[in-house]
Amino acid sequence: MADVEATKSLSGLLNGIAQRVYYGNPEITEQLLREQLFPDLNQDQFTALHDRMKALLKSIAAADMDHAQLEAFLTAQTKRQGSSGLTAEQAAALSRFWKSQRVRVRESLLAQSRWEPGLRGLSWRVDLQTAASRGDAAHSGPVALMELELGRAGQDSEFVCLEFDETKVNQVLKKMADIQKSIDSIVQRS
Amino acid sequence: MSASHARDSSFLGGRIPPEIESMSRNVKDVDQELFRKLLKAVVSALEGKDCREAMKSIAESSTIPQERLGHIVAGMYRVLSEAIRIPTSSLKQEAFKEDLRELRVPEDFITDFSSVVFGNRRAALEAATSRNDPHLPTVEDFKWRVDVAISTSSLARALQPSVLMQMKLSDGSFHRFEVPVSKFQELRYNVALILKEMNDLEKRSILQIQD
Repeated sequence: MADVEATKSLSGLLNGIAQRVYYGNPEITEQLLREQLFPDLNQDQFTALHDRMKALLKSIAAADMDHAQLEAFLTAQTKRQGSSGLTAEQAAALSRFWKSQRVRVRESLLAQSRWEPGLRGLSWRVDLQTAASRGDAAHSGPVALMELELGRAGQDSEFVCLEFDETKVNQVLKKMADIQKSIDSIVQRS
Repeated sequence: MSASHARDSSFLGGRIPPEIESMSRNVKDVDQELFRKLLKAVVSALEGKDCREAMKSIAESSTIPQERLGHIVAGMYRVLSEAIRIPTSSLKQEAFKEDLRELRVPEDFITDFSSVVFGNRRAALEAATSRNDPHLPTVEDFKWRVDVAISTSSLARALQPSVLMQMKLSDGSFHRFEVPVSKFQELRYNVALILKEMNDLEKRSILQIQD
């Protein structure tokens, strides 16, 4: 029973560290984690555990370890002698955590090195202009209205509204095909 | 042909605009060569071109006083802009001519007017006038770059492609933004969908709106 509790606390600690370090949730403090998960440890013991797990997570995340790399890394850590050695429970908790969070942590780390505003979303609509103050426009082709949602991490979005006629949409689509080709050539090589 | 019927359905509406009435009074003794020069200048004005120089040289070489020329030009401009507002499906050439005859515009000039409104300049004129409709900005220039982040301060091996796009809009503003590959797929899909919708729309006859 105590083992189950210990495992839960360890998982909680890892998730708490991830919330604060990778997912930008400042509400999860070291103090809160200690009170909620490890009330039996004194401050020094808890800080040692916390810092150790944080450092291990950082190594794992920075290298974006795959399963084999992680197992090798954890085995090496458990074999270390003395207080710096990792227990089997800790290794198992890290392994479980990484299995479920690897993609998300990687996304968040990539986002930390993105400085331009990113495309968050788009919506569009196709209209047919039927009339206007200066003249009847029933002859003109359909018009595409597009709204791009742009924003930097942690900031409010900015919206850019655009208008396209069919020729323009075609031109943009051709460029997209070029971009796709360019991406494919990189992705296949790596 | 009943006169009242023609007036009812005049393309100029119930009340003849004053500049057109004044034009019809002043245009009578104008020779056709001058009329055609004026018409050419008025058409280029409708197309959004600067016709001040052309007007000036006409005024200088003509014996007709400038004030009268002013009335004529204003009326011609109004006739053409009113006529082009109405789709050719609603305003037939004969009706247009009949309306001008009602105003006692000389027959030769009616033919010239008619060739502008119903001739092959029509499309260019419509395109030019529609440029003045309210519009959202359009993309004038679209540049892109595909980057692969090799390594970052927090990730030893990122190897993550991303697209940097820069758009210059017709209102002069620039927008630069990064598009992760997954978002790029979404963007491309949607642009393709828009194009398909536009193509479908043109095929569907229900949208050939008539009045």
